[in-house]
Amino acid sequence: MANLWQKLTYHKGNGWWNLPHTASQEPNPPFEGPIGGAWLSNFWRTITHGGVSHAGPGFYWLVGLFLGVITLLEVWLFNVQGLGGLYIPTLLGLSTLKFVGVVAFFMHLRFDGRLFTYIFTASMSIGIGMFTLVLLLQQFGNQVR
Amino acid sequence: MWVFLGSDVMFFGAFIATYLVYRGRSLNGPYPSEILDIPVTTVSTFVLLMSSLAMVLGLHYLREGEKNKATLWILGVVVLGSVFMAFQFVEFREFAHEGLTPRTNIFGTTFFILTGIHGAHVTIGVIWMAFLAYSSHRGKLRADNSLDLEIAGLYWHFVDIVWIVIFTVIYLISANDGPPPGAELLHG
Repeated sequence: MANLWQKLTYHKGNGWWNLPHTASQEPNPPFEGPIGGAWLSNFWRTITHGGVSHAGPGFYWLVGLFLGVITLLEVWLFNVQGLGGLYIPTLLGLSTLKFVGVVAFFMHLRFDGRLFTYIFTASMSIGIGMFTLVLLLQQFGNQVR
Repeated sequence: MWVFLGSDVMFFGAFIATYLVYRGRSLNGPYPSEILDIPVTTVSTFVLLMSSLAMVLGLHYLREGEKNKATLWILGVVVLGSVFMAFQFVEFREFAHEGLTPRTNIFGTTFFILTGIHGAHVTIGVIWMAFLAYSSHRGKLRADNSLDLEIAGLYWHFVDIVWIVIFTVIYLISANDGPPPGAELLHG
C-alpha cells in the first residue's frame, strides 16, 4: 500500500504527479517520461525527446491530438444531447481534462518548481470557491424571493 | 508570471461568474439559442488549441538551438492567434448584424465583455509573439535566454485555458438557452 502511495505521489517514486522540488535542482530525472511509472516511461522515452527535461515534440503532438479529440467529443455530445442531467457535468469534466492537459504539459507546471504549482492552484481554488459561493448565494436569493 | 496568471484567474473568474449569474435572464432577444454558431466556434477553438501546440514546439526547438524551426513555430503562433482573432471579429460582426450588441440585453453585455476581454488578451499575445518571432529570426532570442519565450508562452497557454472554459460555459452549456419563463408576457 505504501509502495502504491509512493508511486502515485512521490517524485522519487516515479509517480503520476511527481513534481521536482525546484526546476534547477531536479529539472527532471534522466529518462523519466512525462507520465507514469517506469514501464510507461520506457514507452514515452521512445516517442519523446529522450525523456529528459520536459518532453519532446512527439509527446507535445500527442497532447495536442488529445486536446483536439476532446474538443470534438464535446461538440459531438452537444449535437447528440442524449445525456440528460449528465450533460453539464460531463462537459465540465472534459473541459477540466483539457485544462489540466495544457497547464501540466504545455505550461510545464508538471515539470516546474512546486512553488508555481502552489501559487496557481491556490489562486484557482480561491477563485473557484469564491465564485461558487457567489453563484450559490444568488441561487439561494432567488429561492427566498 | 505565475503570480500574474493567478491574479488573471480571479479577473476572468469574476466575468465568468457574472455571465453565469445573469445566464438565462435576458428579457428580449437575440438569445444564445438563436445566435451562437457552435461549428464555427469549434473550429476557432481548435485553432487556439493548436496555437498552444505551436508555442510549446517553438520553445522546444529554441532550447535545442534550432533557430529556424523555432522561428517558424513562433510565427505559427502569430498566424494561428491572428486566425482566431479573425474568427472572433467575424462572429462579433455577425452578431451585431443580427441585432446583438453589448447594449441589446444582459446576454449581449456579459457575452461581449467576457469574450472581448479575452480577445484583448489574445491581441496582446499575438503582438508579443510577433516581437519574439522577429527576435528569434534576428538571432537575439536564443537557447540561453529562452526564458523570455517561456514566460510569453505561459501567458499564451493561459489565454488558451481561459478559452477552454469560455467555450464550455458560454458556447456548449448555454447554447440552448432561450427566453426565460414569462418573458413572452412582456412582449404580449
